[in-house]
Amino acid sequence: MRVQVARWIERSRANGPGERFVLWVQGCPIRCPGCWNPDTWDPSGGQTVDAEELARVVLAVEGIEGITLTGGEPFVQAGGLLPFVRRVREAGLSVVAFSGFPLSRLLEAGNANAKEPRPDPAAPALLQLVDLQVAGPYDRARRANLPLRGSSNQRLYFLTNRYTFEDLEDAPELEIHLDGEHAALTGFPADTDEWLECIS
Amino acid sequence: MSAYVTLPTPMIETRHLVGALADLGFSEVEVHEEAVPLVGYEGWERNNSAHVVIRRKYVGRASNDLGFLRTPTGFRLIVSEYDRPRFGEEWLKRLRERYAAREAEEAERIRRSNEARRRAEEARRAEERRKLVEAQRRAVIEQARKRGYRIEELREGERVRLIVRRRVY
Repeated sequence: MRVQVARWIERSRANGPGERFVLWVQGCPIRCPGCWNPDTWDPSGGQTVDAEELARVVLAVEGIEGITLTGGEPFVQAGGLLPFVRRVREAGLSVVAFSGFPLSRLLEAGNANAKEPRPDPAAPALLQLVDLQVAGPYDRARRANLPLRGSSNQRLYFLTNRYTFEDLEDAPELEIHLDGEHAALTGFPADTDEWLECIS
Repeated sequence: MSAYVTLPTPMIETRHLVGALADLGFSEVEVHEEAVPLVGYEGWERNNSAHVVIRRKYVGRASNDLGFLRTPTGFRLIVSEYDRPRFGEEWLKRLRERYAAREAEEAERIRRSNEARRRAEEARRAEERRKLVEAQRRAVIEQARKRGYRIEELREGERVRLIVRRRVY
């Protein structure tokens, strides 16, 4: 199986509990106004990566707590992501996933109205592998400073016993990666422009 | 009058040829842009001319000039029949070996010089990257201080991760 990928970073603490491998998938039919990553909307962008190969990349990173699926919209590629997520779960890693779809749409993916943006039919199966799900579209009118959420309408679902809200209490707002070639900002900053100004 | 015999040589670079001749004991060598006539042991000009010339006084008392004529396929040794026993195939083989050694030495010098330049360029870029990262790091830390955020800094080689927190729930 193959996954259309925008990018990844091997380590981040700003995209879920602990140190995490973060995967931004490519392609999003929801396209929330004010989205931080509009470059990930086009489904033909990014690069195509084999799910098994992706799992090998993740499992080669030492000392991480889990993976985070973000994007882009991970659940429109649920079928492609399944073998990858299964493999990393088998290795004991936790899974955090973001989606612009509400949880109800992910659960009934197969029954969705074909005219609307919809998750892949494998979305319920993927959801079963997720420990912590963040669901709902970004609504810039309800922009908020909340852990792992950009707007107050988005919901956190603790789908397994692995995490509780307490695990997010000390979550960083953002993380900045600097290597002299690239500067990257990730997380949920309330004041993105000011931080970007520092590193641009 | 003795005949001149020409032998092809695969040498094309004048500086390597002059160096190779010096290695074989001929440090007095004339190099000409245009070919000049070679002179015989009696002091008469021969019918042959050459771009690189070892005058007969440096070759031997009864010798003729030795010459190398530049051709599109490399220098050709021009040697009189009289001098050929001393400057025949065996001598030419040694000359070619010295030429090849000179050529290899220069290639090695160029390689080392390029390598040194590459390393210097790499070091310069690394220093630029380090300065940029430091400037960005300071700007982020200053911004965090002004806005009441806490910063945790992690370093992995040249990479810096700044983890920024403020919230209290």
